[in-house]
Amino acid sequence: MNKNKWQSIGTVLGETNIDHFYFSLKNYKAKKGDIITTESKIPSSEGNIVPVTVWGKISSIESSNAFFPTEAAQELTNENIDIRDTILPTTRDELICKVIILGFTLKDNLKLMPLNYPVCPASTVSYPSSEDVEALLISDLDSDHPLFIGSLLARDAVKIRIDADNLVSRHVSIFGMSGSGKTVMVRRIMDELLKKQYPMLVLDIHGDYLGFIQKQKKLYPDNNVKLFYPNLSVSSEDKEIIYTLIDKLGNTLTDPQKDFLSSLLEKVKYEGGSLLKYIELLAYKAREFASDSSKSFKNIRPASMYVVVRSLGQVAKKLKNMEQTNFRHRQKMSKLKFEELPDAGTEPEKIIAKGQLSILYLKGYENLPASAIVSILLENLFRHRQEVEEEIPPFLTIIEEAHNFIPSRSEDKDHLPSVETIRKVITEGRKFGTGIMIISQRPSRLDETIASQCNSQIIFRMVNQKDQRATTRDSETLSVDDSKQLPNLANGQGIISGQVVNFSLPVQIKFDAELINDDIGNENFITAVENWDDKDSVKQRKKFAKDFSNITSIDKRRAN
Amino acid sequence: MSDEIEIKNKIKANSSLFTNFVKNAVTASPNVQNNFLEVSAQVALTVKKIIEDANLIMDLDYKGKDFWLENRCKTSCFIDGGVDKTSIISSAPLSIRTGSYIVKPDAEDKHREFFEESMVFLGDLYDPKNELYDLSDDDFDEDQMLNKKKDGARIIFEAVTIVKHILLNRKFDYCFLHGPIEATVMPFTVMGFPTFTKFAVENMLPFYNKNKLNAEARHFVNVYLEALNHIKKSKFPIYGIVETSVSAPYIKNLLYSYKTKGVISDKDFKNTLSTIKKYKITDSHLLEIILKSGQALKPIEIKKQIKGFSVTSGSAWEDKMDSFPSVNMGYIKTTDHSSPIRIESLMSSKNIKKDYEYILATARLLPNYGFPVGLNVVDKFAKIPNWMSKASRKYYATHLLKQAVKSKDQNTISLAVKILSKKVRSWRNRPLGGLAR
Repeated sequence: MNKNKWQSIGTVLGETNIDHFYFSLKNYKAKKGDIITTESKIPSSEGNIVPVTVWGKISSIESSNAFFPTEAAQELTNENIDIRDTILPTTRDELICKVIILGFTLKDNLKLMPLNYPVCPASTVSYPSSEDVEALLISDLDSDHPLFIGSLLARDAVKIRIDADNLVSRHVSIFGMSGSGKTVMVRRIMDELLKKQYPMLVLDIHGDYLGFIQKQKKLYPDNNVKLFYPNLSVSSEDKEIIYTLIDKLGNTLTDPQKDFLSSLLEKVKYEGGSLLKYIELLAYKAREFASDSSKSFKNIRPASMYVVVRSLGQVAKKLKNMEQTNFRHRQKMSKLKFEELPDAGTEPEKIIAKGQLSILYLKGYENLPASAIVSILLENLFRHRQEVEEEIPPFLTIIEEAHNFIPSRSEDKDHLPSVETIRKVITEGRKFGTGIMIISQRPSRLDETIASQCNSQIIFRMVNQKDQRATTRDSETLSVDDSKQLPNLANGQGIISGQVVNFSLPVQIKFDAELINDDIGNENFITAVENWDDKDSVKQRKKFAKDFSNITSIDKRRAN
Repeated sequence: MSDEIEIKNKIKANSSLFTNFVKNAVTASPNVQNNFLEVSAQVALTVKKIIEDANLIMDLDYKGKDFWLENRCKTSCFIDGGVDKTSIISSAPLSIRTGSYIVKPDAEDKHREFFEESMVFLGDLYDPKNELYDLSDDDFDEDQMLNKKKDGARIIFEAVTIVKHILLNRKFDYCFLHGPIEATVMPFTVMGFPTFTKFAVENMLPFYNKNKLNAEARHFVNVYLEALNHIKKSKFPIYGIVETSVSAPYIKNLLYSYKTKGVISDKDFKNTLSTIKKYKITDSHLLEIILKSGQALKPIEIKKQIKGFSVTSGSAWEDKMDSFPSVNMGYIKTTDHSSPIRIESLMSSKNIKKDYEYILATARLLPNYGFPVGLNVVDKFAKIPNWMSKASRKYYATHLLKQAVKSKDQNTISLAVKILSKKVRSWRNRPLGGLAR
């Protein structure tokens, strides 16, 4: 460290302790989020007095001008007077900064240690050079696999890295409003992990990560990037999930009807395969039972059985619709090669493999079927990691729009099967290398148990107070001062806290423009309408519409 | 509405005179209240007639934005003094400073405004070689003397700060002092009021003839007179501005001048003065009723140091009183809700209207208080905060005890302890009793 390069920016004020201190700042010499230092002395365990450098982060700045009376503002406003034309003072702003103490370092050793003696009041506060701040952050992170994610918010020159080992094993949550930078952050992490050949599975609802497929050859020639569409593949072991799906997607069933459905699932054996086919098989069998006067179901009337048949038909229809919607979305991206999701039970290596990124494109699916797909998929993958003969390597699951898969108890009216599965994976995942990254714009709507299992948080702009409270509730490392900052963050600015860093840091995330999916584009609807031209079919309809309308209007005998 | 009814209504509605009266006269009967209203309304009406007869009311112009655009090129200096609050009783040391806020609105950022600690003094301002260290047995006397010393110190420091600016040839368009430009010296002419130390006088007035720095020359009266004579010669206008007047010098002098002209009889003059005294009617009270917002009273010449007061009468300083310059005193009612502020100057200005308009404009920037904002700013700057007063008290206490212990004289040590504990009513200083018995 070259302390000669450090600039003096202020003086520590009166009362200090080991957690924080206040200092008077010279005008324009530092900003909120900046890392600063002050020289102090502490008693060593041998009883000596040791000079140390105390490091801290500016958590808030307050400015006041005691010489500018409030009354004066009233007159300036009423009379439309520019303060600079008057005798009022304009240069006596007092800046008081609150500093959260990060720890101290000894001479020539950049390892941060917790401070156990208050900093010296009236000592000088310095602005360390960018190289020294970066050196401290790297040294303190002490990571075998650092991932570059951006720069310190207040200082562009200070590059920020996070610890990959903690990231993939101890779970991360990424929260923020829509458009605040969550996806940018996830893409950044994925980019870094791909370079490390770490397997990832992304549950992508909006197609935010399809850019990885498009740019794979150019940017990730050594990686395998796969794009899957869901295949509702089930086995007879998944009875509970199938039951829930039919129960929730179909008509409301009475207790005897539910009994019949349950017994039906027991009786109709299925080797495994498409859920749709299984439901069609169930409907066929149910109709049979109903028509042969129900020898097997003596207590259930045929009418009840037909209700179940109709319900199964309805479920099948809904599933077909969802499949078709997903298909139509896929068709729009004809350049991309979609593959059917392999059976995670029998061929997990096709989904999780070293250097592979698997994206499961879930667009078009309602919450419940999507949840069922995710639940079955993760259950199977987790089971493979639990087995002694590990068939797949450790991997990271990235869950976009997580509130769709892990809603809080009050929100989870459908009892989504993915909640239980993810709860299990996240609780035991650390042992088996099945890390989870949950991404959501509504943290208050997430399952508390799951959210609190995330040992690191990356929080972006957040205005909703309920969400802010949920964020601080679930985080052990996010301070109140940090949470106050959340509404004021700009796009791509976030606060990282938890085990991936040693102390919470405000960061400007590096934006990887090349990873945006070219086919989706921005939600620029105004331009879309400006450039709108009716399709041929619409034009044809419009061509004859007036004539048909005239026929109707002149037909006096037509009933109104 | 007749003048009389209007004035009565004003007294009832706004006047601090009436508020003050009602506050003090909790048991006043309706008759007394009515009588007070009648009397004060009559005094106000009479004074108003005289003021109108003398053509003393000026209507001042104030157009906020335009005014400041025109006057942004002017350099103004605002001065105020501060004395510490916890000085050690009966000891000479004082912590005092005067601050100047100098501002030229149209100057570049770096040169736009300066906050200057123009005079700072920590130490023996008053000469210890006199009876000063003798403690009075009466706490009240002791407090009175301490307050006088503080007032004297502040007054002299503020005056010499102006002198300093004059000597440094500062190019001000205006200079304003928070307080009277010439204070009444009568309280400092009492027997036993200490003289300043030689060191202090040399620092305050470096041009003062060093060979003649005998005790008499170092007395407050002489040093202050010297400073005022310098201020009188200033090339830039200097005004002392006082928030509220606790006496009625303007009205009394106005009536006196009308008596001298023969317009008022001796008897009427004396009776009116006696009424003003009896009802504690001050300039502020009456002018608050008479003047409207944005109106001013033209300055009249007033002698502040008058021979023949019971305190100065017979004192060695009586003859000096005539040497003090006269003061030009006027008033401005800056807003509807505030009492008129008193404006004092030692010289007569040719641009009195423009000067008063400048003062009005600075006061309008503090619309509720109605006092020049520059003086409010410098008041905050010069004030000695509690933490500084405490620190200076500690410093003196340590110094005093060290010196006493060094002397090894038991009496000196006892005196030091007595001085330091004089004001503190802690249980240690109370008579023994209770448990000790």
